[in-house]
Amino acid sequence: MLYLQLLADGLVTGCAIGLVAVSFSLIYSTTKVFHVAHAGIYTAGGYIAWYAASYGAPFTVACIAGIIGSALLGAVIQSQVYQRLEERGAQPLVLLIASLGVLAVLQNGVAILFTTNMLQFSYPWRNQMVIFGAVGLSYAQVTIVIVSIVVFVVLTWMSKYTLFGQRIRAVASNPFLAEITRLRPKTLFVLVMMIGSAVVGLAGTLIALDQAMQPYTGVLILLTATIAVIAGGIGSLTGAFVISLALSVLQNLSLAVMPGRWSIAATFALFILFILIRPQGLVRAAR
Amino acid sequence: MSFFLNYLIQAEIFSVMALSTNLLVGIIGIFSVSQAAIFGVGAYTVALLLLSKMLGFPAAIVVAVVLCAALNIVLALPSLRVAGDYFVVTSFGCQLVATAIFINWSQLTGGASGLVGIPTPAIFGYSTDEPAAFACVSTVILAISCLGFWLLMRSPFGRIVHAIRQDELAVAAAGKDVLRAKVSVAAVSGAFAGMAGGLYATYLSFIDPTSFDIGVSIIILTMLVVGGARTLAGSLVGPFLLLALPHGLDLIELSPTIVGPMRQLIYGALLIAFMMFRPQGIAGQRL
Repeated sequence: MLYLQLLADGLVTGCAIGLVAVSFSLIYSTTKVFHVAHAGIYTAGGYIAWYAASYGAPFTVACIAGIIGSALLGAVIQSQVYQRLEERGAQPLVLLIASLGVLAVLQNGVAILFTTNMLQFSYPWRNQMVIFGAVGLSYAQVTIVIVSIVVFVVLTWMSKYTLFGQRIRAVASNPFLAEITRLRPKTLFVLVMMIGSAVVGLAGTLIALDQAMQPYTGVLILLTATIAVIAGGIGSLTGAFVISLALSVLQNLSLAVMPGRWSIAATFALFILFILIRPQGLVRAAR
Repeated sequence: MSFFLNYLIQAEIFSVMALSTNLLVGIIGIFSVSQAAIFGVGAYTVALLLLSKMLGFPAAIVVAVVLCAALNIVLALPSLRVAGDYFVVTSFGCQLVATAIFINWSQLTGGASGLVGIPTPAIFGYSTDEPAAFACVSTVILAISCLGFWLLMRSPFGRIVHAIRQDELAVAAAGKDVLRAKVSVAAVSGAFAGMAGGLYATYLSFIDPTSFDIGVSIIILTMLVVGGARTLAGSLVGPFLLLALPHGLDLIELSPTIVGPMRQLIYGALLIAFMMFRPQGIAGQRL
């Protein structure tokens, strides 16, 4: 029974990490920026929602506040930092270093405003349990599963079947051609950053609802998510989501055999081996 | 006077670290964000050897140098298989695994509370309890590192290394051994980090995992980028300048909980500003 519960908890966390992975994948495959500051937006989203909730806002309102705040942050980062750098023909390394800078600013900004202590949402319902056979899930966990799957399905549908999704894929595969065919990649990049940031802000809020939040935890989550993105094959949203689930389940099940403090180290060690043996990812060929 | 010596010693230690990072990130183009991990391994090695009274300071430094050189080769190995962003993720992973080990292997590392009472080095019978005496030791080690860096860069080997960053394929086609060059540079870089770590541990006489986490990796990277990558002068200017900054912060009244995040926020903002307006840093070459 312990295994079933660990499996269920792993799937729940995996859903939320899946959102981080999917949004990162969307941004990375479109703008080609290795956007580590995504972890900062993740953190900021959760804290904005918490701030709204501390004024008595119901969870949906707080959530929307977090999403809007994150989307705006994403738009500012793309238009004021990445885009300006790219106009100057900056190397990917320069963009990456700038992104690390943005990450430091966001995380420490949050730490200065809200202290580094753990914060929790104070909704009484979030810990109420629902029993499914042998497995018990809290309301917060159920919320995570439902919202994550809905958002994932909508994102996949959007990128596959809508005109907007086709534009994104066109720009992603050939930005130069997109520029001369007036697909306006710059506006599109800002939009993609806004969507990705909104989704990651939502993920930050959801995980904070289930557990608790601290300013610096985003990096670990993003790292797990990027591992899923790479292992799932760059550009494949489904791959990223599924591998996130698998990683999270693996990490939770490993709790049964080793102390929790080692399980994170074990996951990354496993990934480093994986990337050495199969750098092209599980699903698609390397680019 | 002791205030100035304290600043000088710390700046010298971080200059050695900046040289180490410069070799990997600036010179050969392996974007490592796990330099703090190697720094930490050097610090813990020297601390443990001195605390157990097994070896004297010079011998302990030699052990740390050899160990860190070997370990840095292992950490740089994935860069032979995977390039660019993938390696950044692996490197992030290595850093997090190292932090997990520093925190969790508490029998050896003292866990989160760290190691205390590390004796100051005695070199050939002379004690270095006085900051002035220690400053001599750190100056000598920095001078050795600078000389090594300078000689390496103006040698034929240095030219190969620069060429590898610009066009690895061309170097291989010219019949040069790319693998051997990368491994050697990683070894030298690790050796520098080992020396810096040993100095750090004996100077502060106290080390804990937070001194070697991802934030420190980013600070070292900031020093390199602000000073200017690829040049010897850049690796000296950066640490001396950025370490003067916290002393400037001391002049304004800030609550102690805010000082740490505030400093990191300023470092992050500096990273962004330099990438936007002067990517070559103060005394470096174009990134």
